[in-house]
Amino acid sequence: MHLLAQDLVNGILAGGILAVVALGFSLVWGIMNIINLAHGAFVMLGAYTTYQLFTSFHVDPFVSLPISFVLLFVLGYLIQRLLMNWIARAPLLTTFLFTFGLSLLVVNIALIVWSGDTRGVTTAYSGANFTLGDVTVPWAKLYTLLAALAITGTMQLWLVRSKTGRAIRATSMDIGAAQLSGVRVTEIYAIVFGLGAGLAGVAGTLISLSYSLHPTMGDLFLIKAFVVCVLGGLGSVQGALIGGLVYGIVEAFATQLDFTIGTQHISGSGLQDAIALIVLLIVLIVRPRGIMGKATA
Amino acid sequence: MTAGAPATRTTEALLVDALSAGYGDTQVLWDVSLRVDPGEVVALIGSNGAGKSTLLGAISGIVKTWSGAARYGETSLTGLEPDRIVSAGVLQVPQGRRLFGSLSVEDNLRMGAYLRKDREVESDLKRMLDLLPKLRERYDYLAGRLSGGEQQQVAIARALMARPQMLLIDEMSLGLAPVLVDQLIELLASIHQTGVSILIVEQDVQTALEVSSRAYVLETGRITLSGPSAELLDDPQVKKAYLGV
Repeated sequence: MHLLAQDLVNGILAGGILAVVALGFSLVWGIMNIINLAHGAFVMLGAYTTYQLFTSFHVDPFVSLPISFVLLFVLGYLIQRLLMNWIARAPLLTTFLFTFGLSLLVVNIALIVWSGDTRGVTTAYSGANFTLGDVTVPWAKLYTLLAALAITGTMQLWLVRSKTGRAIRATSMDIGAAQLSGVRVTEIYAIVFGLGAGLAGVAGTLISLSYSLHPTMGDLFLIKAFVVCVLGGLGSVQGALIGGLVYGIVEAFATQLDFTIGTQHISGSGLQDAIALIVLLIVLIVRPRGIMGKATA
Repeated sequence: MTAGAPATRTTEALLVDALSAGYGDTQVLWDVSLRVDPGEVVALIGSNGAGKSTLLGAISGIVKTWSGAARYGETSLTGLEPDRIVSAGVLQVPQGRRLFGSLSVEDNLRMGAYLRKDREVESDLKRMLDLLPKLRERYDYLAGRLSGGEQQQVAIARALMARPQMLLIDEMSLGLAPVLVDQLIELLASIHQTGVSILIVEQDVQTALEVSSRAYVLETGRITLSGPSAELLDDPQVKKAYLGV
Protein backbone atom coordinates (compact mmCIF):
# COMPACT_ATOMS: atom_id res chain seq x y z
CA MET A 1 0.00 0.00 0.00
CA HIS A 2 2.78 2.43 0.90
CA LEU A 3 4.22 1.83 -2.55
CA LEU A 4 1.03 3.17 -4.09
CA ALA A 5 1.23 6.41 -2.09
CA GLN A 6 4.91 6.77 -2.96
CA ASP A 7 4.15 6.30 -6.68
CA LEU A 8 1.42 8.88 -6.50
CA VAL A 9 3.74 11.42 -4.88
CA ASN A 10 6.54 10.65 -7.35
CA GLY A 11 4.07 11.11 -10.18
CA ILE A 12 2.87 14.48 -8.94
CA LEU A 13 6.44 15.68 -8.38
CA ALA A 14 7.44 14.67 -11.91
CA GLY A 15 4.18 15.99 -13.32
CA GLY A 16 4.87 19.54 -12.19
CA ILE A 17 7.98 19.64 -14.36
CA LEU A 18 6.11 18.14 -17.30
CA ALA A 19 3.44 20.81 -16.94
CA VAL A 20 6.05 23.55 -17.37
CA VAL A 21 7.69 21.68 -20.28
CA ALA A 22 4.31 21.41 -21.98
CA LEU A 23 3.08 24.93 -21.16
CA GLY A 24 5.30 26.83 -23.59
CA PHE A 25 4.84 24.19 -26.26
CA SER A 26 1.08 24.35 -25.82
CA LEU A 27 0.90 28.15 -26.02
CA VAL A 28 2.89 28.28 -29.25
CA TRP A 29 0.84 25.48 -30.77
CA GLY A 30 -2.54 26.73 -29.58
CA ILE A 31 -2.04 30.40 -30.36
CA MET A 32 0.20 30.36 -33.44
CA ASN A 33 -0.66 26.90 -34.79
CA ILE A 34 3.05 26.10 -34.88
CA ILE A 35 4.26 22.73 -33.61
CA ASN A 36 7.67 23.81 -32.39
CA LEU A 37 9.98 20.82 -32.82
CA ALA A 38 12.81 22.89 -31.35
CA HIS A 39 11.01 23.08 -28.00
CA GLY A 40 13.03 20.14 -26.64
CA ALA A 41 16.25 21.82 -27.75
CA PHE A 42 15.18 24.98 -25.88
CA VAL A 43 14.57 22.85 -22.77
CA MET A 44 18.10 21.47 -23.16
CA LEU A 45 19.53 25.00 -23.50
CA GLY A 46 17.79 26.02 -20.28
CA ALA A 47 19.25 23.01 -18.48
CA TYR A 48 22.76 23.75 -19.76
CA THR A 49 22.41 27.44 -18.88
CA THR A 50 21.75 26.36 -15.31
CA TYR A 51 24.58 23.81 -15.43
CA GLN A 52 27.04 26.42 -16.70
CA LEU A 53 26.01 29.06 -14.16
CA PHE A 54 26.19 26.47 -11.39
CA THR A 55 29.61 25.03 -12.27
CA SER A 56 31.26 28.33 -13.27
CA PHE A 57 29.72 30.78 -10.82
CA HIS A 58 28.04 28.58 -8.17
CA VAL A 59 24.66 30.08 -8.97
CA ASP A 60 21.88 28.07 -7.31
CA PRO A 61 19.57 26.48 -9.90
CA PHE A 62 16.53 28.21 -8.43
CA VAL A 63 18.31 31.55 -8.74
CA SER A 64 19.10 30.80 -12.37
CA LEU A 65 15.38 30.30 -13.17
CA PRO A 66 14.84 33.93 -14.22
CA ILE A 67 18.15 33.96 -16.09
CA SER A 68 17.13 30.90 -18.16
CA PHE A 69 13.79 32.51 -18.80
CA VAL A 70 15.19 35.81 -20.02
CA LEU A 71 17.94 34.26 -22.17
CA LEU A 72 15.58 31.83 -23.87
CA PHE A 73 12.84 34.46 -24.19
CA VAL A 74 15.21 36.74 -26.07
CA LEU A 75 16.40 33.86 -28.26
CA GLY A 76 12.82 32.81 -29.07
CA TYR A 77 11.69 36.40 -29.65
CA LEU A 78 14.54 37.05 -32.09
CA ILE A 79 14.05 33.76 -33.95
CA GLN A 80 10.37 34.58 -34.48
CA ARG A 81 10.95 38.25 -35.25
CA LEU A 82 13.85 37.84 -37.66
CA LEU A 83 13.16 34.47 -39.26
CA MET A 84 9.86 32.80 -38.54
CA ASN A 85 7.55 35.75 -39.08
CA TRP A 86 8.23 35.22 -42.77
CA ILE A 87 6.61 31.81 -42.57
CA ALA A 88 4.43 32.01 -39.45
CA ARG A 89 1.23 31.71 -41.42
CA ALA A 90 2.62 29.25 -43.92
CA PRO A 91 1.26 25.70 -44.01
CA LEU A 92 2.04 23.60 -40.94
CA LEU A 93 4.65 21.56 -42.83
CA THR A 94 6.79 24.64 -43.49
CA THR A 95 7.08 25.62 -39.84
CA PHE A 96 7.45 21.93 -38.97
CA LEU A 97 10.53 21.68 -41.20
CA PHE A 98 11.91 25.00 -40.01
CA THR A 99 11.72 24.12 -36.32
CA PHE A 100 13.09 20.63 -37.05
CA GLY A 101 16.13 22.20 -38.70
CA LEU A 102 16.43 24.69 -35.85
CA SER A 103 16.43 21.82 -33.37
CA LEU A 104 19.24 20.01 -35.21
CA LEU A 105 21.24 23.22 -35.31
CA VAL A 106 20.86 23.98 -31.61
CA VAL A 107 21.58 20.39 -30.52
CA ASN A 108 24.73 20.22 -32.63
CA ILE A 109 26.00 23.57 -31.37
CA ALA A 110 25.44 22.25 -27.84
CA LEU A 111 27.44 19.12 -28.74
CA ILE A 112 30.33 21.34 -29.83
CA VAL A 113 30.14 23.60 -26.78
CA TRP A 114 29.46 21.05 -24.03
CA SER A 115 30.49 17.79 -25.81
CA GLY A 116 28.42 14.63 -25.65
CA ASP A 117 29.34 13.81 -22.07
CA THR A 118 26.56 13.38 -19.56
CA ARG A 119 26.50 16.16 -16.99
CA GLY A 120 24.66 16.82 -13.77
CA VAL A 121 23.83 19.61 -11.38
CA THR A 122 24.47 18.44 -7.81
CA THR A 123 23.59 20.94 -5.14
CA ALA A 124 24.09 20.69 -1.39
CA TYR A 125 20.42 19.79 -1.02
CA SER A 126 20.31 17.34 -3.95
CA GLY A 127 20.26 14.24 -1.75
CA ALA A 128 18.17 15.66 1.08
CA ASN A 129 14.66 14.37 1.67
CA PHE A 130 12.06 14.07 4.36
CA THR A 131 9.54 11.35 5.13
CA LEU A 132 5.84 11.71 5.59
CA GLY A 133 4.51 8.43 6.98
CA ASP A 134 5.85 5.85 4.54
CA VAL A 135 6.41 8.34 1.74
CA THR A 136 9.83 9.82 1.00
CA VAL A 137 9.91 13.27 -0.57
CA PRO A 138 13.17 14.77 -1.89
CA TRP A 139 13.33 18.46 -0.99
CA ALA A 140 14.68 19.45 -4.41
CA LYS A 141 11.69 17.84 -6.13
CA LEU A 142 9.24 19.47 -3.77
CA TYR A 143 10.77 22.90 -4.43
CA THR A 144 10.64 22.09 -8.13
CA LEU A 145 6.94 21.31 -7.92
CA LEU A 146 6.26 24.52 -6.00
CA ALA A 147 8.22 26.51 -8.59
CA ALA A 148 6.26 24.80 -11.37
CA LEU A 149 2.95 25.70 -9.74
CA ALA A 150 4.09 29.29 -9.22
CA ILE A 151 5.16 29.55 -12.87
CA THR A 152 1.93 28.16 -14.31
CA GLY A 153 -0.12 30.32 -11.92
CA THR A 154 1.75 33.48 -12.87
CA MET A 155 1.41 32.64 -16.55
CA GLN A 156 -2.35 32.17 -16.24
CA LEU A 157 -2.76 35.41 -14.29
CA TRP A 158 -0.69 37.31 -16.84
CA LEU A 159 -2.65 35.94 -19.80
CA VAL A 160 -5.97 36.87 -18.21
CA ARG A 161 -5.12 40.18 -16.58
CA SER A 162 -2.43 41.93 -18.58
CA LYS A 163 -3.05 44.01 -21.68
CA THR A 164 -0.58 41.97 -23.73
CA GLY A 165 -2.04 38.71 -22.40
CA ARG A 166 -5.50 39.85 -23.50
CA ALA A 167 -4.15 40.77 -26.93
CA ILE A 168 -2.54 37.34 -27.22
CA ARG A 169 -5.84 35.62 -26.47
CA ALA A 170 -7.70 37.93 -28.84
CA THR A 171 -5.20 37.25 -31.62
CA SER A 172 -5.61 33.51 -31.16
CA MET A 173 -9.37 33.92 -31.64
CA ASP A 174 -9.46 36.24 -34.65
CA ILE A 175 -6.30 37.62 -36.26
CA GLY A 176 -8.18 40.05 -38.51
CA ALA A 177 -10.29 41.51 -35.71
CA ALA A 178 -7.17 41.87 -33.56
CA GLN A 179 -5.43 43.78 -36.34
CA LEU A 180 -8.44 46.06 -36.69
CA SER A 181 -8.14 46.79 -32.96
CA GLY A 182 -4.55 47.93 -33.46
CA VAL A 183 -2.67 44.73 -32.61
CA ARG A 184 0.51 44.13 -34.61
CA VAL A 185 0.35 40.39 -35.07
CA THR A 186 4.05 39.92 -35.89
CA GLU A 187 4.90 41.48 -32.50
CA ILE A 188 2.39 39.32 -30.64
CA TYR A 189 3.74 36.19 -32.37
CA ALA A 190 7.31 37.13 -31.40
CA ILE A 191 6.22 37.56 -27.78
CA VAL A 192 4.38 34.23 -27.78
CA PHE A 193 7.31 32.35 -29.34
CA GLY A 194 9.63 34.08 -26.87
CA LEU A 195 7.37 33.01 -24.00
CA GLY A 196 7.32 29.45 -25.31
CA ALA A 197 11.13 29.36 -25.42
CA GLY A 198 11.42 31.12 -22.05
CA LEU A 199 9.12 28.57 -20.42
CA ALA A 200 11.14 25.78 -22.06
CA GLY A 201 14.27 27.33 -20.53
CA VAL A 202 12.66 27.44 -17.10
CA ALA A 203 11.58 23.83 -17.50
CA GLY A 204 15.16 22.93 -18.43
CA THR A 205 16.40 24.54 -15.24
CA LEU A 206 13.91 22.55 -13.15
CA ILE A 207 14.82 19.36 -15.01
CA SER A 208 18.55 19.87 -14.34
CA LEU A 209 17.86 19.34 -10.62
CA SER A 210 16.52 15.82 -11.08
CA TYR A 211 17.80 14.49 -14.39
CA SER A 212 21.21 14.14 -16.02
CA LEU A 213 22.07 16.47 -18.90
CA HIS A 214 22.96 15.60 -22.46
CA PRO A 215 22.60 17.70 -25.67
CA THR A 216 19.95 15.29 -26.98
CA MET A 217 17.98 15.21 -23.72
CA GLY A 218 15.29 17.44 -25.24
CA ASP A 219 13.93 14.78 -27.60
CA LEU A 220 12.18 12.78 -24.90
CA PHE A 221 10.74 15.95 -23.32
CA LEU A 222 9.47 17.13 -26.70
CA ILE A 223 7.52 13.90 -27.12
CA LYS A 224 6.19 14.16 -23.57
CA ALA A 225 5.19 17.80 -24.11
CA PHE A 226 3.31 16.71 -27.20
CA VAL A 227 1.43 14.02 -25.31
CA VAL A 228 0.71 16.29 -22.32
CA CYS A 229 -0.77 18.89 -24.71
CA VAL A 230 -3.01 16.37 -26.40
CA LEU A 231 -3.92 14.95 -23.00
CA GLY A 232 -4.73 18.28 -21.34
CA GLY A 233 -6.10 20.22 -24.29
CA LEU A 234 -4.27 22.73 -26.44
CA GLY A 235 -3.35 26.31 -25.69
CA SER A 236 -4.58 26.56 -22.11
CA VAL A 237 -2.56 26.86 -18.93
CA GLN A 238 -4.95 24.65 -16.98
CA GLY A 239 -4.72 22.03 -19.72
CA ALA A 240 -0.93 21.90 -19.49
CA LEU A 241 -1.05 21.69 -15.70
CA ILE A 242 -3.71 18.97 -15.51
CA GLY A 243 -2.19 17.10 -18.45
CA GLY A 244 1.27 17.26 -16.90
CA LEU A 245 0.12 15.97 -13.51
CA VAL A 246 -2.01 13.18 -14.99
CA TYR A 247 0.82 12.12 -17.26
CA GLY A 248 3.34 12.21 -14.41
CA ILE A 249 1.14 9.97 -12.28
CA VAL A 250 0.42 7.53 -15.13
CA GLU A 251 4.13 7.28 -15.83
CA ALA A 252 5.01 6.75 -12.17
CA PHE A 253 2.60 3.85 -11.90
CA ALA A 254 3.47 2.38 -15.26
CA THR A 255 7.17 2.18 -14.44
CA GLN A 256 6.25 -0.05 -11.47
CA LEU A 257 4.66 -2.61 -13.78
CA ASP A 258 6.29 -5.97 -13.66
CA PHE A 259 4.79 -8.91 -15.49
CA THR A 260 5.52 -11.85 -17.71
CA ILE A 261 3.95 -12.69 -21.04
CA GLY A 262 4.79 -16.27 -21.90
CA THR A 263 8.54 -16.51 -21.45
CA GLN A 264 9.03 -12.75 -21.93
CA HIS A 265 9.60 -10.78 -18.75
CA ILE A 266 8.52 -7.13 -19.01
CA SER A 267 9.41 -4.48 -16.47
CA GLY A 268 7.84 -1.04 -16.44
CA SER A 269 11.06 0.91 -16.13
CA GLY A 270 12.12 -0.38 -19.55
CA LEU A 271 8.84 0.83 -21.02
CA GLN A 272 9.25 4.49 -20.10
CA ASP A 273 9.57 5.79 -23.65
CA ALA A 274 6.71 3.65 -24.88
CA ILE A 275 4.34 4.90 -22.19
CA ALA A 276 4.07 8.37 -23.72
CA LEU A 277 2.93 6.94 -27.02
CA ILE A 278 0.54 4.45 -25.43
CA VAL A 279 -1.07 7.28 -23.42
CA LEU A 280 -1.30 9.40 -26.59
CA LEU A 281 -3.05 6.57 -28.40
CA ILE A 282 -5.56 6.05 -25.60
CA VAL A 283 -6.39 9.77 -25.35
CA LEU A 284 -6.88 10.09 -29.09
CA ILE A 285 -9.34 7.20 -29.01
CA VAL A 286 -11.21 8.05 -25.80
CA ARG A 287 -11.19 11.86 -25.65
CA PRO A 288 -9.48 13.45 -28.64
CA ARG A 289 -10.04 17.03 -27.47
CA GLY A 290 -8.16 16.47 -24.21
CA ILE A 291 -9.26 16.72 -20.58
CA MET A 292 -9.67 20.50 -20.55
CA GLY A 293 -10.12 21.01 -24.31
CA LYS A 294 -13.20 22.59 -25.79
CA ALA A 295 -15.41 20.66 -28.17
CA THR A 296 -14.93 23.21 -30.94
CA ALA A 297 -11.22 23.83 -30.39
CA MET B 1 -8.88 64.51 -56.47
CA THR B 2 -6.66 63.68 -59.41
CA ALA B 3 -3.08 62.55 -58.98
CA GLY B 4 -1.86 66.01 -59.97
CA ALA B 5 -3.83 67.85 -57.29
CA PRO B 6 -1.69 69.91 -54.92
CA ALA B 7 -0.82 68.13 -51.69
CA THR B 8 -2.10 70.99 -49.57
CA ARG B 9 -5.72 70.37 -50.53
CA THR B 10 -6.97 68.26 -47.62
CA THR B 11 -10.47 69.43 -46.90
CA GLU B 12 -11.78 65.87 -46.96
CA ALA B 13 -11.33 63.49 -44.02
CA LEU B 14 -10.98 60.29 -46.02
CA LEU B 15 -9.87 60.24 -49.61
CA VAL B 16 -9.61 57.13 -51.74
CA ASP B 17 -7.96 57.80 -55.07
CA ALA B 18 -8.08 55.36 -58.01
CA LEU B 19 -7.57 52.41 -55.70
CA SER B 20 -7.19 48.90 -57.11
CA ALA B 21 -6.93 45.79 -54.94
CA GLY B 22 -7.68 42.09 -54.84
CA TYR B 23 -6.70 38.70 -53.50
CA GLY B 24 -3.99 36.57 -55.10
CA ASP B 25 -4.40 36.92 -58.86
CA THR B 26 -8.00 38.07 -58.67
CA GLN B 27 -8.60 41.78 -58.97
CA VAL B 28 -11.65 42.91 -57.03
CA LEU B 29 -11.47 46.72 -57.10
CA TRP B 30 -10.80 48.83 -60.21
CA ASP B 31 -9.75 52.46 -59.80
CA VAL B 32 -12.16 53.20 -56.98
CA SER B 33 -12.28 56.83 -55.86
CA LEU B 34 -14.39 58.30 -53.10
CA ARG B 35 -14.21 60.86 -50.37
CA VAL B 36 -15.78 61.48 -46.97
CA ASP B 37 -15.72 65.04 -45.66
CA PRO B 38 -15.16 65.78 -41.97
CA GLY B 39 -18.28 65.04 -39.95
CA GLU B 40 -20.08 63.55 -42.93
CA VAL B 41 -21.99 60.25 -43.13
CA VAL B 42 -21.41 58.61 -46.48
CA ALA B 43 -22.88 55.34 -47.71
CA LEU B 44 -21.29 52.79 -49.98
CA ILE B 45 -23.93 50.54 -51.44
CA GLY B 46 -23.82 47.63 -53.81
CA SER B 47 -24.79 44.02 -54.12
CA ASN B 48 -23.09 41.02 -52.60
CA GLY B 49 -19.60 40.51 -54.02
CA ALA B 50 -19.28 44.02 -55.44
CA GLY B 51 -16.09 44.56 -53.42
CA LYS B 52 -17.39 46.74 -50.58
CA SER B 53 -15.66 44.82 -47.80
CA THR B 54 -12.49 44.59 -49.88
CA LEU B 55 -12.45 48.38 -50.14
CA LEU B 56 -12.81 48.76 -46.37
CA GLY B 57 -10.09 46.13 -45.94
CA ALA B 58 -7.76 48.08 -48.21
CA ILE B 59 -8.42 51.32 -46.30
CA SER B 60 -7.77 49.50 -43.00
CA GLY B 61 -4.58 47.92 -44.30
CA ILE B 62 -5.63 44.27 -44.00
CA VAL B 63 -6.07 43.91 -47.77
CA LYS B 64 -3.07 44.86 -49.88
CA THR B 65 -3.55 47.87 -52.16
CA TRP B 66 -2.30 47.13 -55.69
CA SER B 67 -2.33 50.69 -56.98
CA GLY B 68 -3.87 54.03 -56.16
CA ALA B 69 -3.96 55.54 -52.70
CA ALA B 70 -5.97 56.12 -49.56
CA ARG B 71 -5.41 59.06 -47.29
CA TYR B 72 -6.87 60.21 -44.00
CA GLY B 73 -6.37 63.95 -43.45
CA GLU B 74 -2.65 64.46 -43.94
CA THR B 75 -1.81 60.79 -43.34
CA SER B 76 -1.25 58.48 -46.30
CA LEU B 77 -2.77 55.12 -45.36
CA THR B 78 -1.43 53.19 -48.33
CA GLY B 79 1.09 50.56 -47.28
CA LEU B 80 0.71 51.30 -43.57
CA GLU B 81 0.39 48.43 -41.08
CA PRO B 82 -3.20 48.08 -39.77
CA ASP B 83 -2.18 49.24 -36.28
CA ARG B 84 -0.82 52.52 -37.71
CA ILE B 85 -4.12 53.10 -39.45
CA VAL B 86 -5.91 52.56 -36.13
CA SER B 87 -3.51 55.08 -34.56
CA ALA B 88 -4.40 57.53 -37.31
CA GLY B 89 -8.00 57.38 -36.05
CA VAL B 90 -9.56 55.23 -38.77
CA LEU B 91 -11.47 52.33 -37.22
CA GLN B 92 -13.38 49.56 -38.93
CA VAL B 93 -16.36 47.72 -37.50
CA PRO B 94 -16.03 44.54 -39.53
CA GLN B 95 -18.77 42.56 -41.17
CA GLY B 96 -20.18 39.81 -38.97
CA ARG B 97 -19.13 41.70 -35.77
CA ARG B 98 -15.93 39.61 -35.44
CA LEU B 99 -15.97 39.86 -31.66
CA PHE B 100 -13.47 37.92 -29.57
CA GLY B 101 -16.01 35.27 -28.66
CA SER B 102 -14.25 33.72 -25.66
CA LEU B 103 -13.42 37.08 -24.11
CA SER B 104 -15.88 38.94 -21.90
CA VAL B 105 -17.72 42.00 -23.16
CA GLU B 106 -15.46 44.08 -20.94
CA ASP B 107 -12.31 42.55 -22.43
CA ASN B 108 -13.64 43.12 -25.94
CA LEU B 109 -14.14 46.79 -25.15
CA ARG B 110 -10.68 46.97 -23.59
CA MET B 111 -9.23 45.46 -26.76
CA GLY B 112 -10.66 48.44 -28.61
CA ALA B 113 -8.48 50.70 -26.46
CA TYR B 114 -5.42 48.50 -27.07
CA LEU B 115 -3.23 51.28 -28.50
CA ARG B 116 -4.33 53.97 -26.07
CA LYS B 117 -1.88 55.05 -23.41
CA ASP B 118 -3.97 57.80 -21.80
CA ARG B 119 -5.67 57.46 -18.44
CA GLU B 120 -9.21 57.97 -19.67
CA VAL B 121 -9.87 54.40 -20.77
CA GLU B 122 -11.79 53.63 -17.59
CA SER B 123 -14.03 56.68 -17.92
CA ASP B 124 -14.61 55.80 -21.59
CA LEU B 125 -15.71 52.31 -20.54
CA LYS B 126 -18.28 53.93 -18.25
CA ARG B 127 -19.36 56.21 -21.09
CA MET B 128 -19.96 53.17 -23.34
CA LEU B 129 -22.20 51.62 -20.68
CA ASP B 130 -24.13 54.88 -20.38
CA LEU B 131 -24.50 54.98 -24.13
CA LEU B 132 -25.49 51.30 -24.32
CA PRO B 133 -27.21 50.41 -21.02
CA LYS B 134 -28.00 46.91 -22.27
CA LEU B 135 -24.29 46.09 -22.17
CA ARG B 136 -24.09 46.86 -18.46
CA GLU B 137 -25.88 43.65 -17.53
CA ARG B 138 -23.88 41.72 -20.14
CA TYR B 139 -20.52 43.18 -19.08
CA ASP B 140 -19.06 39.91 -17.73
CA TYR B 141 -20.65 37.63 -20.33
CA LEU B 142 -18.54 35.99 -22.99
CA ALA B 143 -19.12 38.01 -26.14
CA GLY B 144 -19.91 34.86 -28.12
CA ARG B 145 -22.99 34.26 -25.93
CA LEU B 146 -24.68 37.56 -26.81
CA SER B 147 -27.52 37.99 -29.29
CA GLY B 148 -26.78 39.41 -32.73
CA GLY B 149 -28.01 42.88 -31.85
CA GLU B 150 -26.00 43.00 -28.64
CA GLN B 151 -22.93 41.75 -30.46
CA GLN B 152 -23.25 44.54 -33.01
CA GLN B 153 -23.46 47.08 -30.18
CA VAL B 154 -20.30 45.64 -28.65
CA ALA B 155 -18.55 45.71 -32.03
CA ILE B 156 -19.36 49.40 -32.47
CA ALA B 157 -18.47 50.19 -28.86
CA ARG B 158 -15.17 48.33 -29.27
CA ALA B 159 -14.28 50.58 -32.18
CA LEU B 160 -15.39 53.67 -30.26
CA MET B 161 -13.04 52.73 -27.42
CA ALA B 162 -10.18 53.64 -29.76
CA ARG B 163 -11.58 57.19 -29.93
CA PRO B 164 -11.84 57.14 -33.71
CA GLN B 165 -12.27 60.16 -35.94
CA MET B 166 -13.46 58.06 -38.83
CA LEU B 167 -15.61 54.94 -38.57
CA LEU B 168 -15.91 52.39 -41.35
CA ILE B 169 -18.95 50.23 -40.62
CA ASP B 170 -19.41 47.08 -42.66
CA GLU B 171 -22.90 45.57 -42.97
CA MET B 172 -24.16 46.80 -39.63
CA SER B 173 -27.75 45.67 -40.22
CA LEU B 174 -27.04 42.24 -41.69
CA GLY B 175 -29.14 39.57 -40.03
CA LEU B 176 -30.77 41.89 -37.50
CA ALA B 177 -34.46 42.56 -36.89
CA PRO B 178 -35.69 45.97 -38.12
CA VAL B 179 -36.33 47.20 -34.57
CA LEU B 180 -32.70 46.48 -33.67
CA VAL B 181 -31.51 48.21 -36.84
CA ASP B 182 -33.46 51.30 -35.82
CA GLN B 183 -31.71 51.30 -32.43
CA LEU B 184 -28.32 51.02 -34.10
CA ILE B 185 -29.16 53.90 -36.43
CA GLU B 186 -29.96 56.03 -33.40
CA LEU B 187 -26.60 55.00 -31.99
CA LEU B 188 -24.89 56.05 -35.22
CA ALA B 189 -26.65 59.39 -35.10
CA SER B 190 -25.38 60.05 -31.59
CA ILE B 191 -21.84 59.04 -32.63
CA HIS B 192 -22.12 61.35 -35.61
CA GLN B 193 -23.15 64.16 -33.26
CA THR B 194 -19.78 63.90 -31.54
CA GLY B 195 -18.07 64.83 -34.81
CA VAL B 196 -17.01 61.38 -36.03
CA SER B 197 -17.07 60.90 -39.80
CA ILE B 198 -18.75 57.69 -40.88
CA LEU B 199 -18.57 55.52 -43.99
CA ILE B 200 -21.27 52.88 -43.90
CA VAL B 201 -21.32 49.89 -46.19
CA GLU B 202 -24.72 48.31 -46.56
CA GLN B 203 -26.73 45.85 -48.56
CA ASP B 204 -29.79 47.42 -47.01
CA VAL B 205 -29.81 50.28 -49.49
CA GLN B 206 -32.95 51.96 -48.16
CA THR B 207 -31.46 52.31 -44.66
CA ALA B 208 -28.06 53.37 -45.97
CA LEU B 209 -29.50 56.13 -48.12
CA GLU B 210 -31.76 57.39 -45.35
CA VAL B 211 -28.96 57.88 -42.82
CA SER B 212 -26.30 59.27 -45.17
CA SER B 213 -25.88 62.62 -46.88
CA ARG B 214 -24.06 61.24 -49.92
CA ALA B 215 -23.61 57.80 -51.39
CA TYR B 216 -21.56 55.79 -53.85
CA VAL B 217 -22.74 52.74 -55.76
CA LEU B 218 -20.13 50.01 -56.22
CA GLU B 219 -20.77 47.44 -58.94
CA THR B 220 -18.34 44.59 -59.69
CA GLY B 221 -15.45 46.58 -58.27
CA ARG B 222 -16.16 49.93 -59.91
CA ILE B 223 -17.96 53.05 -58.70
CA THR B 224 -20.83 53.42 -61.16
CA LEU B 225 -22.90 56.12 -59.54
CA SER B 226 -22.54 58.73 -56.83
CA GLY B 227 -24.38 61.72 -55.48
CA PRO B 228 -26.52 63.06 -52.66
CA SER B 229 -28.37 60.19 -51.00
CA ALA B 230 -31.76 61.85 -51.41
CA GLU B 231 -31.24 61.97 -55.18
CA LEU B 232 -30.07 58.37 -55.35
CA LEU B 233 -33.22 57.30 -53.50
CA ASP B 234 -35.18 58.67 -56.44
CA ASP B 235 -32.79 57.47 -59.11
CA PRO B 236 -34.65 55.02 -61.39
CA GLN B 237 -31.52 52.89 -61.82
CA VAL B 238 -31.01 52.56 -58.05
CA LYS B 239 -34.71 51.94 -57.48
CA LYS B 240 -34.74 49.15 -60.02
CA ALA B 241 -31.50 47.48 -58.96
CA TYR B 242 -31.53 47.85 -55.17
CA LEU B 243 -34.89 48.96 -53.87
CA GLY B 244 -37.04 46.52 -55.78
CA VAL B 245 -39.54 49.11 -56.96
